[in-house]
Amino acid sequence: MADKILTGIPVATGIAIGKAFFVNRNHRARLPRQTVTLDLVSNEVHLLQDAFHSVEAELSATREHVPAELKDYRLLIDTHILMLKDPKLAGAAEEYIKSLGLNAAWALEKAVSDQEAAFRAINDPYIRERMQDVRVVADKVLAKIIGEETDLGAMEGRAIIMAHDLTPADTVELQVNKIMGFATVCGGKTSHTGIMARSLAIPALVGVNKLEDNVHDGDLVVLDGLSGKIVVNPTETELAEYNERAAYFEEYTRKIKRHCHLPAETIDGSRVQVLANIELVEEVASVLDNGGEGVGLYRTEYAYLNRTDLPGEEELAEKYIDLASIMSPKKVVFRTLDLGADKFISSYGELGETNPAMGLRAIRFCLKNPQLFKTQLRAILRASAHGKVSLMFPMISGVKEVRQAKAWLAQAKAELRREGVEYDPDMPVGIMIELPAAVMIAEYLAYEVDFFSIGTNDLIQYSIGVDRTNHHVSYLYQPLHPATLRTIKLVVDAAHQAGIEVSLCGEVASDPFCVPILLGMGIDSLSLTPQAIPGIKRIIRQTNMHDCRKLLKEVLECRTVGRINDLVMDNIFKHFPDEVTFFSSLLENDEAPS
Amino acid sequence: MTVDTQTPGSFPEDIESRQVVVANDHGLHARPAGKLAQQAQAFEAEILLVYGEQSVDAKSILDVLTLAAGPGEVIEIRASGDDAAEAADALETLFRNKFDE
Repeated sequence: MADKILTGIPVATGIAIGKAFFVNRNHRARLPRQTVTLDLVSNEVHLLQDAFHSVEAELSATREHVPAELKDYRLLIDTHILMLKDPKLAGAAEEYIKSLGLNAAWALEKAVSDQEAAFRAINDPYIRERMQDVRVVADKVLAKIIGEETDLGAMEGRAIIMAHDLTPADTVELQVNKIMGFATVCGGKTSHTGIMARSLAIPALVGVNKLEDNVHDGDLVVLDGLSGKIVVNPTETELAEYNERAAYFEEYTRKIKRHCHLPAETIDGSRVQVLANIELVEEVASVLDNGGEGVGLYRTEYAYLNRTDLPGEEELAEKYIDLASIMSPKKVVFRTLDLGADKFISSYGELGETNPAMGLRAIRFCLKNPQLFKTQLRAILRASAHGKVSLMFPMISGVKEVRQAKAWLAQAKAELRREGVEYDPDMPVGIMIELPAAVMIAEYLAYEVDFFSIGTNDLIQYSIGVDRTNHHVSYLYQPLHPATLRTIKLVVDAAHQAGIEVSLCGEVASDPFCVPILLGMGIDSLSLTPQAIPGIKRIIRQTNMHDCRKLLKEVLECRTVGRINDLVMDNIFKHFPDEVTFFSSLLENDEAPS
Repeated sequence: MTVDTQTPGSFPEDIESRQVVVANDHGLHARPAGKLAQQAQAFEAEILLVYGEQSVDAKSILDVLTLAAGPGEVIEIRASGDDAAEAADALETLFRNKFDE
């Protein structure tokens, strides 16, 4: 048996086998807390000062290498350098060594705790968040003091990067060509680690429990981004198995990629559009490489995160125009700002809501902040003159909300028209169906808009009442729950009844087990993570609508998830054995853990 | 966050004092706080920012941040020492120029 098998949330697929290399370890857990005798006090003071100075020198050196276009990182580093020089951190720690005889590490931790107490008392959530920066800086100093700092130069050959957390700023320091995979303790499905890994096409896991206790630098690890496992120091047999599995997966990926540019058409001639979900313009290459027929969901939030100010119209328009024109004549669907819940803009900060998932987020947030909303609408409209652009509003709960959002859009159009700025007056406008309320009035909503896009991630959570990141109940998050399938069908039927198209852009769209059922419902397009496009196109090209409709009819008659899983599994086994090998994790969530 | 050695009102005669308004949209957040501390560190003078009941060291970005002074708030700059006047002028200009935002 391997030393340990850890589990995490897979955010980028693939299997990497290599040596572990730790960056950003959480040193606080193993902090030495000792007092020193009077004669050793000056040693500890020197140790502390040296650590502060060398971190400052390193940050200054890093700052010089930050490319000009990443000026936000430069400002972040400047702030960190200022914190290093701050008398309230270095000075206070030194004072604790001198007055209480604490060792340098403990003294620093105490100075940081003092700051934490001061920041906790602040009402302004944005400023309270800045404590994170103090922590980042202090952790670097702490690593120096206890002699466990990361020396990126010590990374021999290629390695699998392990970390407590990875921030966008870390990206600047990492040599991406040497990285085979990522695993972090923190982070969720949409964290920066996942985006980075997917754009590098390497496997990654986030939310790995006890990673720091169980993996050491140089350990041989298998990072399985398919099943979400990390195997630490595998046995010869395990290693051979994973090597075979990795090779098999690579071969499978190569094989399906060869055909990814062919149209997504079933054997009996039904055409489905396969589009991509992206959040960075840079991901366009991966959309095109993987045979994406357009962008079905451009998550516009990223431009608002990790910064202290708001992006202006010019900045947004430049980015949006780039995206629309690179993708042209393929379409790009812009989703207006979807913030709140787990993502916040620093300038607004957390809203201090007890239940943010049901609070002021997405379209609700935008309608409350019309200036910010209009800035974005104007930028999207400007991009519509440069390509095939559509727009959709997230988290719609009623007809009035759609009308309000459309009224702001009309106002933005009128302004642009007056200013003589070009835009597409017929730009299609759609909404995301993510709330059970929207499902139940889908027939009314359909008359207000040009298309629907079903966001299954939230729709499933709200329908079943389950937070899929809560490990106590995440087993209840079931895309193949009879209620989920009926819900999706209701929406598809309502849209088609009204003569509008319906797309699906949640994770269900990239799940080979669900796709035949969705085809059976008559879904018009699927939007998924770019890397999953070749696999889904392959499924579509090897199936026929007759079988899909038959399967749908059978599953809609099932009363339990278990029965649906069996039917779906039979279907996949019969037609797509490779997919069973690589994508079976979904079907493991059937029962509550005992 | 109160500086123990000097409470408001117990300043020597040679202090330079300026009243300023936080004019930037988001208050004294990280970027302005950083600029303020950086600028303050360039002077020998001891510089305090007095805001309501609190008075903090202008050379400490952490202190300035913990003031959490929002837009429109009035702050007093108090500098004492050799280059106190220059220091107070420089910081006053920063506030006036909205920290170049």
